[in-house]
Amino acid sequence: MLISRLLRVLAVLFAVIMVAAWWMTRPQTIAATDLPDHQPDPAGGERVFWAGGCASCHASPVNGKRAKGDDKLLLGGGLELDTPYGVFRVPNISPHVDDGIGGWTSVDFVNAMQRGVSPDGRHYYPSFPYTSYARMPAEDVMDLKAFLDTLPPVSGRIEAHSLGFPWSVRRGIGAWKRRYLVEEPMTFGVSPTLVERGRLLVEGAGHCGECHTPRDRFGGMLRERWLAGAPNPEGKGRVPNITPGGENISEWSAADIAYYLESGFTPEFDTVGGSMVAVQENMAKLSAEDRAAIAAYLRALPVLD
Amino acid sequence: MSYLKTRSLIATVALTFTSPLIAGDDPLHERHELMEGVGDAAKPIGQMLKGEQDFDAAVVMTSLKTFDEAAAQFGELFPPGSETGEGTEAAPAIWEDRAGFDKALATWSDAVDAAIAANPQTVEETKTVAGPVFNACKGCHDDYRIEDE
Repeated sequence: MLISRLLRVLAVLFAVIMVAAWWMTRPQTIAATDLPDHQPDPAGGERVFWAGGCASCHASPVNGKRAKGDDKLLLGGGLELDTPYGVFRVPNISPHVDDGIGGWTSVDFVNAMQRGVSPDGRHYYPSFPYTSYARMPAEDVMDLKAFLDTLPPVSGRIEAHSLGFPWSVRRGIGAWKRRYLVEEPMTFGVSPTLVERGRLLVEGAGHCGECHTPRDRFGGMLRERWLAGAPNPEGKGRVPNITPGGENISEWSAADIAYYLESGFTPEFDTVGGSMVAVQENMAKLSAEDRAAIAAYLRALPVLD
Repeated sequence: MSYLKTRSLIATVALTFTSPLIAGDDPLHERHELMEGVGDAAKPIGQMLKGEQDFDAAVVMTSLKTFDEAAAQFGELFPPGSETGEGTEAAPAIWEDRAGFDKALATWSDAVDAAIAANPQTVEETKTVAGPVFNACKGCHDDYRIEDE
């Protein structure tokens, strides 16, 4: 009698917890009416495209190598990211109506970029760095969509990710987002205009922290170690500390940083290497002012060892 | 074990132990030194382009000549058998795609020749001719150099 009552209470409790968990992990989106009143500008979107390095992941590899030159504008996806969580396959974001994102509305795109939610209401995995893009001005995101719409459509759908348990439970990303999807700046007290412009580029579109910041065991960024270097997500070695306390960069001037992003050469005249090659090539397409802003922001960061 | 195999084994062992001692017979060491020299020569040009150093056309030409000499020697310093060792950053692609590597090297060499022929006398002229030279450095490193760990 007592036991059956206890079981009933437990069953109800379990149901309540499940419903609560379902509710807590629901994808949360922005309504079309909440978008700023902004006429999307493809030219502004091209700046965001290079700052964000969209092509570094989304351009289809050519003969197994990363795309170069104009091939960077063919965003058919297909690159595989082999990570400790499993294999992520980068999707087609070309303006192809069926296989890419050609059929998306502006608000679909903003929700993908800044909330990590697909048009059909599912969570994206944070291998797509929306945790950074959440810090972008929404106008920039709308401009980016306008630019992407000018690129050639590429046909072909990319296979789904192959992830291990528990990462394979997509709904769980909702809980992850509650903790790690934050729009607030990573750094504070960066009021001068140039530094703030750099902050938006580095913390937002540029998503530099995705590789340069270490993560906790759930894959969330450690805010207190912002840009202080991390294990290479692609395997061997480390991604360097780029705060003014970084081993090599501590010797660099802001002009050195800007020149490195423009030319790919360090002050010692070694060339950029590894995954940073593609990033640097994108940064080279920004304006000199944008690169100076990034350098000013990096110099203004707290010194971390 | 056949006689030939034994002999090649002995030769390999002998080379392994003696080659670092003979300066003229150590491609790994030589190419490393040559590359360091190229980096040192690139530095003043870069500093002039950055405005950190006063422009000096003679220094630019000296650096370009250094590149030219290095470009002439470089191709011979990656013989089969020198794939690994001494912390080399040479990528296996050099030996797997020798034609591609030679082409990348020729791109650099041609850019250097063009820069020398242009004989730049201002920062702007230097920037124009140094662009393809520096891009050739990067292009080759991108495909034929591995990252140190």
